[in-house]
Amino acid sequence: MNKICFIALIALAGAWILRAQTNMAGTNAVSTNAVAEILALVTTNTPPPQPPAPKTNAPTKIDSDTADFDLNGRQAVYRGNVRVDSPQMKLTCAQLTVDLPPAGGRIQHVVAETNVVIDATDEKGETNHVTCDKAVYDYKVQESMTNEPITLTGNPQVVNAQGTNTADVIIWDRATGHGWEKNPHMVSSPNVNIGKTDTNSPAAGTNNPLMPKLF
Amino acid sequence: MKIKFHNAVPAALIVAAAWFAATLVRAQQNTAGHASNFSSVEYFDAPHAQQMKSRMSGTEASPQPGGLLAIKQLKLEEFDVEGKLEAVAEAPDCVYDMQNGMANSPGHLKMRTGDGNLRIEGEGFLWRQTNQWLTISNHVQTVIQGALESKTGL
Repeated sequence: MNKICFIALIALAGAWILRAQTNMAGTNAVSTNAVAEILALVTTNTPPPQPPAPKTNAPTKIDSDTADFDLNGRQAVYRGNVRVDSPQMKLTCAQLTVDLPPAGGRIQHVVAETNVVIDATDEKGETNHVTCDKAVYDYKVQESMTNEPITLTGNPQVVNAQGTNTADVIIWDRATGHGWEKNPHMVSSPNVNIGKTDTNSPAAGTNNPLMPKLF
Repeated sequence: MKIKFHNAVPAALIVAAAWFAATLVRAQQNTAGHASNFSSVEYFDAPHAQQMKSRMSGTEASPQPGGLLAIKQLKLEEFDVEGKLEAVAEAPDCVYDMQNGMANSPGHLKMRTGDGNLRIEGEGFLWRQTNQWLTISNHVQTVIQGALESKTGL
């Protein structure tokens, strides 16, 4: 059915953010349109401890205290105790802003702000807990190249079975599956190969090319 | 104006809200004095002039001082050219400010697509027609049914 409104896309944006968190650092050859495949790639060293998370027809719910829909400015803003709850993830933040595309278009900019918390469960039942102050999703097409960077700032931290990772900035590109960090300053996990260079090229401006593989 | 939901996936709610406001305008235009169990229907332009485009109904509509129109059990329905229900908005109580082009209510607002795959509810709303701004004040709840990933190619 093709009549799901932009609210659905807000939820999807949350899902994008979630997926970014679960795959952001050093994931190569990641399928960009199947979260199951992505998560499978990043958890290949760990046996599945739990049943797979449901990915079927369970609804996605978005709750907030208030919501504003600016039809002229084409922007939707959810404010206050924003909660996105889908089968694969839960996202909370204080404000979720979505720039609305033209009819039939694609959302190109989503911002989750203030006390952003994302909890995702992959198909093997592994959890990823992400916190940051701000998560920004962008969709860009330049010279036939599609980029979908999700940028986490404000003390971003990713915690999963493989370890804990923090940096000044954590970026993951959904389109390429590449992730990188700017100035990582804490990594802890017995399973993490600290200092192992990521096979993906770091982005320009990245001041620390060493990318521990957490995912 | 033809309102299409078919290819307006991300803008469906916008269209619904605009339609909501437009229909309220029509309500005030078509209502002379108190009305009970009223219904107002708009049809498509030719060549679908026989097809109902939207229908607004309510149990009561009464003019209020200050150019206000109070509507009880407001129900707005939108249809496509084949008669299929596209969207529904319901508000038990609603006041439309005819002078300032605003609709508001402290009560419940419920909107859904015809197939029920999208539902939006909240308590209290304000629609400002002049700048096309809809605010839902409290307890905003959105439920999207179905596999979202497949809808957007994620």
